[in-house]
Amino acid sequence: MAVRIPNTLNELPASQPRFVGRGIRRVEDASLLTGRTPFIDDVVLPQMLHCAILKSPFAHARISSIDTKEAEALPGVVAVLTGEDVLRWSYPAQSAPEGWGSHCMATDVTRFVGEPVAAVAATSRYVAEDAIELIFVDYEPLEAVADPFEAMNSDSPLVMEDQGSNVMMDRVFNWGEVDQVFSDAEHVVREKFRWHRMGANPTETFGCIAEWSPLDLSITLRGSIQSPSMFALGRASTFGLPPNKVNVISHPHGGSFGGKGGSRGSDITCMLSRKADGRPVKWIEDRIEYLTSGGSQAWDRHYEAAIAVDADGIVQGLDVQLVDDIGATGDMYGAICAAKPLAAFTGPYTIQAARYDLKLVATNKLPSGPYRGMGPPPHFFVLEQLMDRAARLRGEDPSEFRRKNFIRSDQFPYTIPSGNEYDSGNYGEVLDRVLELSDYTEMRANQVKAREEGRLVGVGVASAIEPGVFDWNAYAIVGMQGTGVPEGATVGIDVMGGVTVRVGFALEGQGQYTLVSQLVSDFFGVVPEAVQVVQLDTQSAPPSFGPGGSRLGVSITGAVLGACEKIKEKMIRVVASLMQCEPEQVRLLDGKFGVEGVPGAEMTVPEVAGTMLARSDLLPPDVDPAPVATHVWTAAGRTEPDEEGRAKSYLTAAHAVHVVQVEVDRATGMVEIQRYCLADDCGTRLNPATVEGQTDGSVAQGIGAALLEEYAYDEDAQPLTTSFMDYLLPTVFEVPEIEKVAVVTPSPFTPLGAKGCGEGAIHTTPAAIMCAINDALLPLGVQTTEVPASPRRLWKLIQEAQS
Amino acid sequence: MSALVPVKCHVNGRVVETMVDARMTLADFLRHELGLTGTHVGCEHGVCGICNILVDGQTTRSCLMLAVQAEGHEIRTVESLSDGDKLHPIQEAFMEEHGLQCGFCTAGFMMAICDLLENNTNPSEDEIKDVLGGQVCRCTGYNTILRAVKNAAAKMGSAGA
Ligand code: FES
Ligand code: FES
Repeated sequence: MAVRIPNTLNELPASQPRFVGRGIRRVEDASLLTGRTPFIDDVVLPQMLHCAILKSPFAHARISSIDTKEAEALPGVVAVLTGEDVLRWSYPAQSAPEGWGSHCMATDVTRFVGEPVAAVAATSRYVAEDAIELIFVDYEPLEAVADPFEAMNSDSPLVMEDQGSNVMMDRVFNWGEVDQVFSDAEHVVREKFRWHRMGANPTETFGCIAEWSPLDLSITLRGSIQSPSMFALGRASTFGLPPNKVNVISHPHGGSFGGKGGSRGSDITCMLSRKADGRPVKWIEDRIEYLTSGGSQAWDRHYEAAIAVDADGIVQGLDVQLVDDIGATGDMYGAICAAKPLAAFTGPYTIQAARYDLKLVATNKLPSGPYRGMGPPPHFFVLEQLMDRAARLRGEDPSEFRRKNFIRSDQFPYTIPSGNEYDSGNYGEVLDRVLELSDYTEMRANQVKAREEGRLVGVGVASAIEPGVFDWNAYAIVGMQGTGVPEGATVGIDVMGGVTVRVGFALEGQGQYTLVSQLVSDFFGVVPEAVQVVQLDTQSAPPSFGPGGSRLGVSITGAVLGACEKIKEKMIRVVASLMQCEPEQVRLLDGKFGVEGVPGAEMTVPEVAGTMLARSDLLPPDVDPAPVATHVWTAAGRTEPDEEGRAKSYLTAAHAVHVVQVEVDRATGMVEIQRYCLADDCGTRLNPATVEGQTDGSVAQGIGAALLEEYAYDEDAQPLTTSFMDYLLPTVFEVPEIEKVAVVTPSPFTPLGAKGCGEGAIHTTPAAIMCAINDALLPLGVQTTEVPASPRRLWKLIQEAQS
Repeated sequence: MSALVPVKCHVNGRVVETMVDARMTLADFLRHELGLTGTHVGCEHGVCGICNILVDGQTTRSCLMLAVQAEGHEIRTVESLSDGDKLHPIQEAFMEEHGLQCGFCTAGFMMAICDLLENNTNPSEDEIKDVLGGQVCRCTGYNTILRAVKNAAAKMGSAGA
């Protein structure tokens, strides 16, 4: 049944939406606040065993022998798994690019520190950890490579021997007349940039409980899993099983941000359960494992980039060369982060031609994976530094320089050179609002005073796009296949009028169950507290991807409203027959069906549902008596990528401008953020409070990226950041008050006009802070091009400038 | 391998008397032996503060204490805050201010805030930050947590007045 999904709040069957569009309290909070929400490590199953994993201490070594006898003899140990079992029972993982996947455990050669080499299932985690200390491995160390430029040399050690090279991908994409605009340019601004590895670090690490059924070769996997259906597909491919034999039950989890990881650990526990005759095996990754061998690391990038600016100060071309150090394998999908910038390559600007020279390189570091934003945050850091330099060259204010390069509001929908289409926007308005909020003129005046006092105060203005509602076609250039990402929901109304919504994903913090409750409440005239949102496992759920790619808010709204519309249509037919009128005369408003032209002829939603389920005698013979419907939503109009990777991919383009004031301490290189202001436009805000929550959290992660967070390795690819003492997360001391103002330009293409907003501010924050730092450093005549701008790096720069 | 050791302490107002593995952390004891899974662990090396509980009223990292060290002490966890369906003012304040997203870190914050506000219902911004600065939250960016503390302080102040 084709359904029309409301594109504006006015189209909801409510005279005034009472919940959608309001920052209502979250339905998930009471359980979380009282400690009742079952996270995966809270779950205990009968006969459950606990897994500990032995990890490689070498970045590159041949395993000459493994002796597990003593471990096996330890009381409490039930199963020990080594590469031999893994070779017998599983396939290497899928990867991007294709062919760069490895087994979940080293089978002959270890390729990064932290790669699993053996694992134990025992009656307690303590015993399991004792046991892995009793496993003796003989390693023959091999030369490791930790630098992607060295890795590209012909004499480099090979990370994956049979590939014959460490270059996973090497391609140049040309969109438009790039050479022409660069040769016609009045100014070309070119610079090298370095963005160090950093990543998600949700407060809960990955955890799972696997059960292998020896009877029918099926798997039940519970876990803190961000994308249950993808995870089920992954396990199915590892074990050569049909996907419907893998049931993934995701648990509410403590954040994810794309970097939950867990595929290796899940495959290992599945095989341990198989060895333990189907007993459930739990593995809870500890923080050190997460930091060194989990889904923790993303975006290890070396850039050289340029923009071409014409005589009027309009940026005509962008040329980006990226060497992305993916790490040892492609099976954590870090490569898709290098593809995603195509969805917004030229940012909010009218740049007409662009080139992307992309090299993905393998080294002996942890395989990199996704992280909030999925790749554009470093790309926009680069673009915004170039914009600032160009503005300076022309003596123009950075905010006005951006304004004149913005896509105008009458140009939407707007197709960018790399192929994606932006839905709508009002970039000038967003800029105006943030300049107002920050009192920009005053800020600049204060900066002048501070400079006179010799203080290094800087102001940064940066602008970026958050592509929303991801699509697989955005990642075609690194080998991902498919177009469309379906999300389904089943809405049902019971005989007493209670509404239950069944979805295919678990809670992880964005308040999606609250959103679902808001939607059905306004649709059927109930209250959110009365709505039950139930999570289904992958064997029961309709097609679902779950949270990711700034997509779920929009897509679950489409799914839920689609299902509600279908129920409404069925109910209208029932009401029409009971009221003896035409279906066209029946209208739903505020929870009641009325008949046009017949005042007083009314039935409430619970009355209609009760009739459908308990009064078959009253129903017309041809009516579907179930007040239940499933709708699977996917973005319309997505296209197949052409040979240059161009496609309509992400459906929405949210926009933001951030204005930041920082002060750099000359003596220590410490950066203090003195003001943080932003304006953003992500279309209709379905729950402004949770949208703001996403923004705040994403600013904080952006601050971490810009100033603190870095996974360092030595030249032998040994990780140097192995605890929270070395990998620094922002605390309340680093995150200032975030002053925000919203502009709302609804999307013409989405349910209720909402745009993807979950990844949010991290697209802009690192760029804005780096712009501010470089503005602060101007009087010294130095600029930083490296993220994070740690005190050590800035102090060195300041010293160089002063000597 | 290690030996079993007797331990007797109070947990959320009840006497607990049992034998524990000498090397078991207090966090594991509370979570896995007593089933008080509202206390979470984020790092198990004393940095993140997510495992915060109150030991004799003082904020303590339960991952850095052994269960046997609880001997003779009074322990409070998140499970002690609410009373049936009646939330503690700190919990209410977190809910009103959207002070949580995934909620994994929240128990640790609430216990530390409980320690603060039970001793001082009118803390300054700096005093609040001093307490919050001992813990990480990856989701919220702290702005709403800060507001939740002020809101809770007002609630607890007026309740006590
Ligand atoms: S878990 Fe105890 S401080 Fe992190
Ligand atoms: S709410 Fe998720 S870590 Fe704090």
